[in-house]
Amino acid sequence: MSNSVHYIHALTGFGRAIRLLALTFVLVLAGLGAVALAADEAHAGEAGHGAHAEHKHHGLSPDAPRIQVGPFSVTNSMIVTWIVAIGVIGFAQYATRSIKDVPDGAQNFWEWLVESLHNFLESIIGPDLVKKTFWFFATLFIFILFTNWAGLIPGVGTIGWGIPNAQGGLDHISRPLFRGVNADLNMTLAMAVIFFVCWVVWALQANGPGGFVMHIFGPKGKTEGFMKVMMIAVFIVVGFLEIVSIMFRPVSLSFRLYGNVFAGESMLESMAALVPSLGWLIPVPFYFMELLVGIVQALVFMLLTAVFTLLICQHEEGRH
Amino acid sequence: MTFIPVLAAESGIVDALVESTRRTGETFGFNAWLFFSQIISFCIVAFLLQKFAYKPILTILEERRKRIADGLANADKIKQQLAESEQRYQEILTKANAEAQKMIDEARASAAVVKDRETQRAISEAEQILTKAREAAALEHTKMLGDLKREVGRLVIGTTAKVTGKVLTADDQKRLSEEAAREVAA
Repeated sequence: MSNSVHYIHALTGFGRAIRLLALTFVLVLAGLGAVALAADEAHAGEAGHGAHAEHKHHGLSPDAPRIQVGPFSVTNSMIVTWIVAIGVIGFAQYATRSIKDVPDGAQNFWEWLVESLHNFLESIIGPDLVKKTFWFFATLFIFILFTNWAGLIPGVGTIGWGIPNAQGGLDHISRPLFRGVNADLNMTLAMAVIFFVCWVVWALQANGPGGFVMHIFGPKGKTEGFMKVMMIAVFIVVGFLEIVSIMFRPVSLSFRLYGNVFAGESMLESMAALVPSLGWLIPVPFYFMELLVGIVQALVFMLLTAVFTLLICQHEEGRH
Repeated sequence: MTFIPVLAAESGIVDALVESTRRTGETFGFNAWLFFSQIISFCIVAFLLQKFAYKPILTILEERRKRIADGLANADKIKQQLAESEQRYQEILTKANAEAQKMIDEARASAAVVKDRETQRAISEAEQILTKAREAAALEHTKMLGDLKREVGRLVIGTTAKVTGKVLTADDQKRLSEEAAREVAA
Protein backbone atom coordinates (compact mmCIF):
# COMPACT_ATOMS: atom_id res chain seq x y z
CA MET A 1 0.00 0.00 0.00
CA SER A 2 2.69 2.44 1.09
CA ASN A 3 4.86 1.53 -1.91
CA SER A 4 2.04 2.12 -4.33
CA VAL A 5 1.37 5.54 -2.75
CA HIS A 6 5.06 6.45 -3.17
CA TYR A 7 4.91 5.21 -6.72
CA ILE A 8 1.90 7.41 -7.47
CA HIS A 9 3.63 10.38 -5.83
CA ALA A 10 6.73 9.72 -7.91
CA LEU A 11 4.63 9.53 -11.07
CA THR A 12 2.78 12.75 -10.17
CA GLY A 13 6.10 14.49 -9.45
CA PHE A 14 7.57 13.24 -12.69
CA GLY A 15 4.52 14.38 -14.69
CA ARG A 16 4.65 17.75 -12.98
CA ALA A 17 8.36 18.12 -13.73
CA ILE A 18 7.72 17.26 -17.39
CA ARG A 19 4.87 19.78 -17.56
CA LEU A 20 7.03 22.43 -15.96
CA LEU A 21 9.90 21.74 -18.31
CA ALA A 22 7.55 21.94 -21.28
CA LEU A 23 6.06 25.16 -19.91
CA THR A 24 9.52 26.64 -19.36
CA PHE A 25 10.57 25.62 -22.84
CA VAL A 26 7.50 27.21 -24.42
CA LEU A 27 7.90 30.36 -22.35
CA VAL A 28 11.59 30.66 -23.18
CA LEU A 29 10.82 30.15 -26.87
CA ALA A 30 8.01 32.71 -26.66
CA GLY A 31 10.29 35.08 -24.81
CA LEU A 32 13.13 34.61 -27.27
CA GLY A 33 10.72 35.14 -30.13
CA ALA A 34 9.35 38.24 -28.47
CA VAL A 35 12.85 39.58 -27.82
CA ALA A 36 13.85 38.91 -31.41
CA LEU A 37 10.65 40.58 -32.63
CA ALA A 38 11.13 43.48 -30.26
CA ALA A 39 14.76 43.82 -31.29
CA ASP A 40 13.73 43.81 -34.96
CA GLU A 41 11.02 46.33 -34.32
CA ALA A 42 13.29 48.44 -32.16
CA HIS A 43 15.91 48.22 -34.90
CA ALA A 44 13.28 49.13 -37.46
CA GLY A 45 12.19 51.90 -35.11
CA GLU A 46 15.75 53.13 -34.91
CA ALA A 47 16.10 52.86 -38.67
CA GLY A 48 12.83 54.69 -38.95
CA HIS A 49 14.20 57.09 -36.40
CA GLY A 50 17.04 57.94 -38.77
CA ALA A 51 14.75 58.16 -41.74
CA HIS A 52 12.22 60.17 -39.82
CA ALA A 53 14.92 62.48 -38.55
CA GLU A 54 15.06 63.84 -41.99
CA HIS A 55 11.29 64.34 -41.84
CA LYS A 56 11.62 65.88 -38.36
CA HIS A 57 10.06 62.80 -36.67
CA HIS A 58 12.11 61.39 -33.85
CA GLY A 59 10.13 58.33 -32.59
CA LEU A 60 10.20 57.13 -28.98
CA SER A 61 13.47 57.81 -27.19
CA PRO A 62 14.94 54.81 -25.32
CA ASP A 63 15.95 57.17 -22.54
CA ALA A 64 13.02 58.28 -20.38
CA PRO A 65 13.09 62.09 -20.42
CA ARG A 66 13.38 63.73 -16.99
CA ILE A 67 11.07 66.30 -15.55
CA GLN A 68 12.12 68.74 -12.87
CA VAL A 69 9.66 68.69 -9.94
CA GLY A 70 10.96 71.29 -7.51
CA PRO A 71 14.45 70.27 -6.40
CA PHE A 72 13.92 66.67 -7.55
CA SER A 73 14.43 65.28 -11.00
CA VAL A 74 12.03 62.47 -11.89
CA THR A 75 11.39 60.61 -15.10
CA ASN A 76 8.03 60.58 -16.81
CA SER A 77 7.89 56.78 -16.38
CA MET A 78 8.34 57.24 -12.62
CA ILE A 79 5.31 59.55 -12.59
CA VAL A 80 3.21 56.87 -14.29
CA THR A 81 4.66 54.28 -11.90
CA TRP A 82 3.42 56.27 -8.92
CA ILE A 83 0.05 57.04 -10.52
CA VAL A 84 -0.54 53.35 -11.28
CA ALA A 85 0.75 52.31 -7.84
CA ILE A 86 -1.52 54.83 -6.11
CA GLY A 87 -4.42 53.71 -8.33
CA VAL A 88 -3.90 50.00 -7.59
CA ILE A 89 -3.31 50.50 -3.86
CA GLY A 90 -6.26 52.92 -3.65
CA PHE A 91 -8.55 50.46 -5.42
CA ALA A 92 -7.34 47.62 -3.20
CA GLN A 93 -7.98 49.75 -0.10
CA TYR A 94 -11.43 50.69 -1.41
CA ALA A 95 -12.21 47.05 -2.19
CA THR A 96 -11.11 45.85 1.25
CA ARG A 97 -12.36 48.81 3.34
CA SER A 98 -15.22 46.79 4.82
CA ILE A 99 -14.85 43.15 3.99
CA LYS A 100 -18.11 41.26 3.81
CA ASP A 101 -18.67 37.52 4.05
CA VAL A 102 -20.68 37.65 0.82
CA PRO A 103 -18.55 39.84 -1.47
CA ASP A 104 -19.92 42.25 -4.04
CA GLY A 105 -18.71 45.06 -6.30
CA ALA A 106 -15.05 46.02 -5.91
CA GLN A 107 -14.41 43.41 -3.21
CA ASN A 108 -15.78 40.73 -5.51
CA PHE A 109 -13.47 41.79 -8.36
CA TRP A 110 -10.41 42.09 -6.12
CA GLU A 111 -11.13 38.75 -4.46
CA TRP A 112 -11.53 37.15 -7.88
CA LEU A 113 -8.20 38.62 -9.06
CA VAL A 114 -6.25 37.67 -5.93
CA GLU A 115 -7.83 34.22 -5.58
CA SER A 116 -7.37 33.38 -9.27
CA LEU A 117 -3.72 34.44 -9.13
CA HIS A 118 -3.21 32.49 -5.90
CA ASN A 119 -4.79 29.32 -7.28
CA PHE A 120 -2.93 29.68 -10.57
CA LEU A 121 0.44 30.11 -8.84
CA GLU A 122 -0.37 27.33 -6.37
CA SER A 123 -1.00 24.93 -9.25
CA ILE A 124 2.44 25.76 -10.68
CA ILE A 125 4.77 26.18 -7.72
CA GLY A 126 2.86 24.29 -5.03
CA PRO A 127 1.11 25.36 -1.82
CA ASP A 128 4.22 25.72 0.36
CA LEU A 129 6.16 27.97 -1.99
CA VAL A 130 3.13 30.08 -2.89
CA LYS A 131 2.64 31.04 0.77
CA LYS A 132 6.14 32.49 0.85
CA THR A 133 6.28 34.08 -2.59
CA PHE A 134 2.73 35.10 -3.47
CA TRP A 135 3.21 38.75 -2.49
CA PHE A 136 6.03 39.10 -5.00
CA PHE A 137 4.57 37.27 -7.99
CA ALA A 138 1.12 38.83 -7.53
CA THR A 139 2.67 42.29 -7.34
CA LEU A 140 4.72 41.58 -10.45
CA PHE A 141 1.67 40.49 -12.43
CA ILE A 142 -0.70 43.20 -11.23
CA PHE A 143 1.86 45.97 -11.47
CA ILE A 144 3.15 44.99 -14.93
CA LEU A 145 -0.37 44.44 -16.25
CA PHE A 146 -1.74 47.78 -15.09
CA THR A 147 1.36 49.75 -16.05
CA ASN A 148 1.26 48.17 -19.52
CA TRP A 149 -2.41 49.06 -19.93
CA ALA A 150 -1.88 52.51 -18.41
CA GLY A 151 0.61 53.15 -21.21
CA LEU A 152 -2.24 52.77 -23.71
CA ILE A 153 -4.39 55.49 -22.17
CA PRO A 154 -4.66 58.41 -24.62
CA GLY A 155 -2.36 61.19 -23.47
CA VAL A 156 0.44 58.91 -22.28
CA GLY A 157 3.32 59.81 -24.62
CA THR A 158 1.30 62.43 -26.50
CA ILE A 159 1.07 65.20 -23.90
CA GLY A 160 4.32 67.02 -23.18
CA TRP A 161 6.96 69.28 -24.56
CA GLY A 162 8.54 69.43 -28.01
CA ILE A 163 10.19 71.72 -30.51
CA PRO A 164 7.59 73.68 -32.48
CA ASN A 165 7.73 73.66 -36.26
CA ALA A 166 7.69 76.71 -38.52
CA GLN A 167 3.93 77.02 -38.15
CA GLY A 168 4.17 76.88 -34.36
CA GLY A 169 2.64 73.37 -34.14
CA LEU A 170 4.17 70.26 -32.55
CA ASP A 171 4.98 67.37 -34.91
CA HIS A 172 6.61 65.33 -32.22
CA ILE A 173 6.64 65.33 -28.41
CA SER A 174 10.28 64.98 -27.41
CA ARG A 175 9.62 65.19 -23.65
CA PRO A 176 6.24 63.54 -22.94
CA LEU A 177 4.70 64.15 -19.53
CA PHE A 178 3.78 60.49 -19.18
CA ARG A 179 5.42 57.40 -20.59
CA GLY A 180 4.76 53.65 -20.48
CA VAL A 181 6.46 52.41 -17.31
CA ASN A 182 7.88 49.27 -18.85
CA ALA A 183 9.19 51.22 -21.85
CA ASP A 184 11.85 52.39 -19.38
CA LEU A 185 14.66 49.86 -18.93
CA ASN A 186 15.33 51.13 -15.40
CA MET A 187 11.93 49.85 -14.23
CA THR A 188 12.09 46.43 -15.89
CA LEU A 189 15.68 45.94 -14.73
CA ALA A 190 14.70 47.00 -11.21
CA MET A 191 11.97 44.33 -11.11
CA ALA A 192 14.33 41.70 -12.56
CA VAL A 193 17.07 42.53 -10.04
CA ILE A 194 14.60 42.46 -7.12
CA PHE A 195 13.49 39.05 -8.35
CA PHE A 196 17.12 37.92 -8.56
CA VAL A 197 17.75 38.95 -4.95
CA CYS A 198 14.52 37.28 -3.78
CA TRP A 199 15.39 34.19 -5.81
CA VAL A 200 18.76 33.88 -4.07
CA VAL A 201 17.16 34.35 -0.65
CA TRP A 202 14.42 31.77 -1.33
CA ALA A 203 16.95 29.34 -2.82
CA LEU A 204 19.19 29.63 0.26
CA GLN A 205 16.18 29.26 2.58
CA ALA A 206 15.01 26.14 0.73
CA ASN A 207 18.37 24.44 0.17
CA GLY A 208 20.85 26.01 2.60
CA PRO A 209 24.22 27.24 1.28
CA GLY A 210 25.56 23.71 0.74
CA GLY A 211 22.37 22.48 -0.86
CA PHE A 212 22.31 25.54 -3.12
CA VAL A 213 25.80 24.78 -4.43
CA MET A 214 24.97 21.07 -4.74
CA HIS A 215 21.78 21.96 -6.59
CA ILE A 216 23.82 23.74 -9.23
CA PHE A 217 26.96 21.59 -9.38
CA GLY A 218 25.81 18.27 -7.94
CA PRO A 219 25.32 15.27 -10.26
CA LYS A 220 21.71 14.30 -10.90
CA GLY A 221 20.56 10.69 -11.10
CA LYS A 222 22.07 7.55 -9.62
CA THR A 223 25.33 6.36 -11.11
CA GLU A 224 28.12 4.10 -9.86
CA GLY A 225 31.85 3.70 -10.38
CA PHE A 226 33.51 5.38 -13.32
CA MET A 227 30.22 6.80 -14.59
CA LYS A 228 29.76 8.58 -11.28
CA VAL A 229 33.16 10.29 -11.66
CA MET A 230 32.28 11.24 -15.23
CA MET A 231 28.90 12.59 -14.19
CA ILE A 232 30.47 14.68 -11.42
CA ALA A 233 32.85 16.24 -13.96
CA VAL A 234 30.04 16.81 -16.45
CA PHE A 235 27.76 18.39 -13.88
CA ILE A 236 30.50 20.72 -12.63
CA VAL A 237 30.81 22.04 -16.19
CA VAL A 238 27.00 22.15 -16.47
CA GLY A 239 26.95 24.04 -13.16
CA PHE A 240 29.12 26.81 -14.61
CA LEU A 241 26.80 27.02 -17.61
CA GLU A 242 23.88 27.14 -15.18
CA ILE A 243 25.53 30.03 -13.33
CA VAL A 244 25.94 31.93 -16.61
CA SER A 245 22.29 31.21 -17.39
CA ILE A 246 21.22 32.39 -13.92
CA MET A 247 23.32 35.56 -14.19
CA PHE A 248 21.69 36.38 -17.51
CA ARG A 249 18.14 35.89 -16.24
CA PRO A 250 17.72 39.48 -15.00
CA VAL A 251 18.97 40.71 -18.38
CA SER A 252 16.67 38.48 -20.41
CA LEU A 253 13.68 39.18 -18.16
CA SER A 254 14.14 42.95 -18.21
CA PHE A 255 14.98 43.25 -21.91
CA ARG A 256 12.10 40.99 -22.94
CA LEU A 257 9.53 43.16 -21.17
CA TYR A 258 11.23 46.42 -22.08
CA GLY A 259 11.60 45.36 -25.73
CA ASN A 260 7.98 44.34 -26.10
CA VAL A 261 6.50 47.42 -24.48
CA PHE A 262 8.95 49.80 -26.13
CA ALA A 263 8.34 48.20 -29.52
CA GLY A 264 4.59 48.37 -28.95
CA GLU A 265 4.67 52.06 -28.11
CA SER A 266 6.97 52.79 -31.06
CA MET A 267 4.63 50.86 -33.31
CA LEU A 268 1.58 52.77 -32.07
CA GLU A 269 3.39 56.05 -32.63
CA SER A 270 4.54 54.98 -36.10
CA MET A 271 1.02 53.85 -37.01
CA ALA A 272 -0.40 57.16 -35.84
CA ALA A 273 2.14 59.04 -37.96
CA LEU A 274 1.81 56.77 -41.01
CA VAL A 275 -1.11 58.65 -42.56
CA PRO A 276 -1.52 61.92 -40.60
CA SER A 277 -5.17 62.37 -41.59
CA LEU A 278 -5.99 58.81 -40.41
CA GLY A 279 -3.82 58.97 -37.30
CA TRP A 280 -6.93 58.44 -35.15
CA LEU A 281 -7.96 55.22 -36.95
CA ILE A 282 -4.93 53.22 -38.04
CA PRO A 283 -3.53 52.53 -34.52
CA VAL A 284 -6.89 51.20 -33.21
CA PRO A 285 -6.33 47.50 -34.15
CA PHE A 286 -2.81 47.77 -32.75
CA TYR A 287 -4.23 49.11 -29.49
CA PHE A 288 -6.20 45.86 -29.13
CA MET A 289 -3.04 43.90 -29.87
CA GLU A 290 -1.17 45.92 -27.25
CA LEU A 291 -3.90 45.11 -24.71
CA LEU A 292 -3.14 41.45 -25.39
CA VAL A 293 0.62 42.02 -25.33
CA GLY A 294 0.21 43.80 -21.98
CA ILE A 295 -1.44 40.80 -20.32
CA VAL A 296 0.78 38.24 -22.07
CA GLN A 297 3.98 40.02 -21.02
CA ALA A 298 2.76 40.35 -17.43
CA LEU A 299 1.96 36.63 -17.46
CA VAL A 300 5.28 35.68 -19.07
CA PHE A 301 7.31 37.72 -16.58
CA MET A 302 5.41 36.27 -13.61
CA LEU A 303 5.45 32.69 -14.92
CA LEU A 304 9.14 32.72 -15.76
CA THR A 305 10.10 34.10 -12.37
CA ALA A 306 7.77 31.59 -10.67
CA VAL A 307 9.20 28.67 -12.64
CA PHE A 308 12.80 29.79 -11.95
CA THR A 309 11.93 29.90 -8.25
CA LEU A 310 10.29 26.48 -8.37
CA LEU A 311 13.24 24.92 -10.18
CA ILE A 312 15.69 26.00 -7.48
CA CYS A 313 13.38 25.20 -4.53
CA GLN A 314 11.89 21.97 -5.90
CA HIS A 315 15.01 19.91 -5.23
CA GLU A 316 14.73 20.35 -1.48
CA GLU A 317 11.01 19.50 -1.51
CA GLY A 318 11.68 16.40 -3.62
CA ARG A 319 14.40 15.34 -1.21
CA HIS A 320 11.94 15.54 1.69
CA MET B 1 56.40 35.10 -15.92
CA THR B 2 54.05 34.10 -18.66
CA PHE B 3 50.84 34.77 -16.75
CA ILE B 4 51.42 38.53 -16.55
CA PRO B 5 50.46 39.03 -20.22
CA VAL B 6 47.53 36.63 -19.69
CA LEU B 7 46.28 38.74 -16.78
CA ALA B 8 46.81 41.85 -18.86
CA ALA B 9 44.86 40.28 -21.67
CA GLU B 10 42.10 39.22 -19.23
CA SER B 11 42.06 42.69 -17.79
CA GLY B 12 41.60 43.99 -21.31
CA ILE B 13 38.66 41.63 -21.85
CA VAL B 14 37.07 42.69 -18.57
CA ASP B 15 37.54 46.36 -19.47
CA ALA B 16 36.01 45.70 -22.86
CA LEU B 17 33.07 43.90 -21.25
CA VAL B 18 32.53 46.71 -18.76
CA GLU B 19 32.74 49.29 -21.53
CA SER B 20 30.35 47.29 -23.69
CA THR B 21 27.89 46.95 -20.82
CA ARG B 22 28.13 50.68 -20.08
CA ARG B 23 27.50 51.59 -23.70
CA THR B 24 24.58 49.14 -23.94
CA GLY B 25 23.11 50.61 -20.76
CA GLU B 26 23.52 54.13 -22.08
CA THR B 27 21.94 53.13 -25.41
CA PHE B 28 18.85 51.80 -23.68
CA GLY B 29 18.62 54.65 -21.18
CA PHE B 30 20.00 52.92 -18.10
CA ASN B 31 20.72 55.29 -15.22
CA ALA B 32 21.92 54.03 -11.83
CA TRP B 33 20.00 56.61 -9.74
CA LEU B 34 16.77 56.06 -11.66
CA PHE B 35 17.30 52.33 -11.42
CA PHE B 36 17.62 52.50 -7.61
CA SER B 37 14.62 54.84 -7.46
CA GLN B 38 12.56 52.29 -9.37
CA ILE B 39 13.76 49.51 -7.06
CA ILE B 40 12.54 51.54 -4.08
CA SER B 41 9.27 52.38 -5.85
CA PHE B 42 8.59 48.73 -6.64
CA CYS B 43 9.48 47.62 -3.10
CA ILE B 44 7.09 50.22 -1.65
CA VAL B 45 4.32 49.11 -4.03
CA ALA B 46 4.92 45.44 -3.18
CA PHE B 47 4.92 46.19 0.57
CA LEU B 48 1.74 48.28 0.41
CA LEU B 49 -0.06 45.79 -1.80
CA GLN B 50 0.92 42.95 0.52
CA LYS B 51 -0.28 44.89 3.56
CA PHE B 52 -3.49 46.40 2.20
CA ALA B 53 -4.44 44.29 -0.80
CA TYR B 54 -3.36 40.66 -0.43
CA LYS B 55 -3.31 40.05 3.30
CA PRO B 56 -6.95 41.02 4.05
CA ILE B 57 -8.21 39.10 1.02
CA LEU B 58 -6.07 36.02 1.66
CA THR B 59 -7.10 36.09 5.32
CA ILE B 60 -10.80 36.20 4.48
CA LEU B 61 -10.34 33.55 1.78
CA GLU B 62 -8.58 31.32 4.32
CA GLU B 63 -11.31 31.96 6.89
CA ARG B 64 -13.97 31.20 4.28
CA ARG B 65 -12.15 28.05 3.23
CA LYS B 66 -11.91 26.98 6.87
CA ARG B 67 -15.59 27.77 7.43
CA ILE B 68 -16.59 25.74 4.37
CA ALA B 69 -14.34 22.88 5.48
CA ASP B 70 -15.86 23.05 8.98
CA GLY B 71 -19.35 23.20 7.49
CA LEU B 72 -18.67 20.15 5.35
CA ALA B 73 -17.12 18.34 8.31
CA ASN B 74 -20.18 19.23 10.42
CA ALA B 75 -22.49 18.10 7.64
CA ASP B 76 -20.62 14.79 7.50
CA LYS B 77 -20.81 14.52 11.28
CA ILE B 78 -24.53 15.27 11.27
CA LYS B 79 -25.01 12.76 8.45
CA GLN B 80 -23.13 10.15 10.44
CA GLN B 81 -25.11 10.96 13.58
CA LEU B 82 -28.32 10.75 11.57
CA ALA B 83 -27.27 7.36 10.20
CA GLU B 84 -26.41 6.20 13.72
CA SER B 85 -29.76 7.50 15.04
CA GLU B 86 -31.55 5.77 12.19
CA GLN B 87 -29.72 2.56 12.99
CA ARG B 88 -30.50 2.94 16.70
CA TYR B 89 -34.14 3.69 15.89
CA GLN B 90 -34.29 0.61 13.68
CA GLU B 91 -32.69 -1.48 16.41
CA ILE B 92 -35.15 -0.14 19.00
CA LEU B 93 -38.03 -0.71 16.61
CA THR B 94 -36.88 -4.24 15.90
CA LYS B 95 -36.45 -4.91 19.61
CA ALA B 96 -39.87 -3.42 20.38
CA ASN B 97 -41.42 -5.50 17.62
CA ALA B 98 -39.77 -8.62 19.00
CA GLU B 99 -40.91 -7.81 22.54
CA ALA B 100 -44.43 -7.03 21.36
CA GLN B 101 -44.53 -10.27 19.41
CA LYS B 102 -43.28 -12.11 22.46
CA MET B 103 -45.94 -10.46 24.61
CA ILE B 104 -48.62 -11.29 22.07
CA ASP B 105 -47.44 -14.89 21.95
CA GLU B 106 -47.37 -15.05 25.73
CA ALA B 107 -50.83 -13.47 25.88
CA ARG B 108 -52.07 -15.95 23.31
CA ALA B 109 -50.54 -18.81 25.25
CA SER B 110 -51.97 -17.62 28.58
CA ALA B 111 -55.33 -16.94 26.92
CA ALA B 112 -55.32 -20.47 25.59
CA VAL B 113 -54.51 -21.79 29.05
CA VAL B 114 -57.25 -19.66 30.61
CA LYS B 115 -59.64 -20.73 27.91
CA ASP B 116 -58.89 -24.40 28.53
CA ARG B 117 -59.15 -23.99 32.26
CA GLU B 118 -62.41 -22.06 31.98
CA THR B 119 -63.78 -24.56 29.50
CA GLN B 120 -62.89 -27.40 31.82
CA ARG B 121 -64.40 -25.56 34.73
CA ALA B 122 -67.55 -24.79 32.73
CA ILE B 123 -67.80 -28.41 31.63
CA SER B 124 -67.32 -29.56 35.18
CA GLU B 125 -69.86 -27.08 36.49
CA ALA B 126 -72.30 -28.07 33.77
CA GLU B 127 -71.81 -31.71 34.68
CA GLN B 128 -72.36 -30.86 38.32
CA ILE B 129 -75.52 -28.93 37.42
CA LEU B 130 -76.70 -31.82 35.28
CA THR B 131 -75.98 -34.31 38.05
CA LYS B 132 -77.80 -32.17 40.58
CA ALA B 133 -80.68 -31.70 38.14
CA ARG B 134 -80.82 -35.42 37.57
CA GLU B 135 -80.72 -36.07 41.28
CA ALA B 136 -83.46 -33.47 41.86
CA ALA B 137 -85.52 -34.92 39.03
CA ALA B 138 -85.07 -38.39 40.46
CA LEU B 139 -86.10 -37.22 43.91
CA GLU B 140 -89.08 -35.43 42.47
CA HIS B 141 -89.95 -38.50 40.46
CA THR B 142 -89.68 -40.66 43.51
CA LYS B 143 -91.73 -38.22 45.52
CA MET B 144 -94.36 -37.93 42.81
CA LEU B 145 -94.40 -41.69 42.47
CA GLY B 146 -94.97 -41.99 46.21
CA ASP B 147 -97.71 -39.42 46.06
CA LEU B 148 -99.22 -41.14 43.07
CA LYS B 149 -99.14 -44.50 44.80
CA ARG B 150 -100.76 -43.09 47.84
CA GLU B 151 -103.41 -41.29 45.81
CA VAL B 152 -104.04 -44.32 43.61
CA GLY B 153 -104.24 -46.50 46.74
CA ARG B 154 -106.62 -44.03 48.29
CA LEU B 155 -108.78 -43.99 45.13
CA VAL B 156 -108.72 -47.77 44.84
CA ILE B 157 -109.79 -48.13 48.46
CA GLY B 158 -112.48 -45.46 48.08
CA THR B 159 -113.74 -46.96 44.82
CA THR B 160 -113.67 -50.50 46.17
CA ALA B 161 -115.55 -49.47 49.30
CA LYS B 162 -118.21 -47.72 47.21
CA VAL B 163 -118.47 -50.55 44.73
CA THR B 164 -118.69 -53.32 47.30
CA GLY B 165 -120.63 -51.27 49.78
CA LYS B 166 -118.79 -52.61 52.69
CA VAL B 167 -116.40 -51.13 55.12
CA LEU B 168 -112.93 -52.24 54.36
CA THR B 169 -110.67 -53.22 57.13
CA ALA B 170 -107.27 -51.88 57.74
CA ASP B 171 -105.74 -55.03 56.28
CA ASP B 172 -107.94 -54.75 53.17
CA GLN B 173 -106.99 -51.20 52.79
CA LYS B 174 -103.28 -52.07 53.21
CA ARG B 175 -103.45 -54.91 50.73
CA LEU B 176 -105.43 -52.89 48.14
CA SER B 177 -103.02 -49.94 48.56
CA GLU B 178 -99.98 -52.22 48.05
CA GLU B 179 -101.58 -53.88 44.99
CA ALA B 180 -102.35 -50.46 43.46
CA ALA B 181 -98.79 -49.30 44.21
CA ARG B 182 -97.35 -52.41 42.50
CA GLU B 183 -99.61 -51.82 39.52
CA VAL B 184 -98.51 -48.15 39.27
CA ALA B 185 -94.84 -49.12 39.63
CA ALA B 186 -95.24 -51.63 36.85
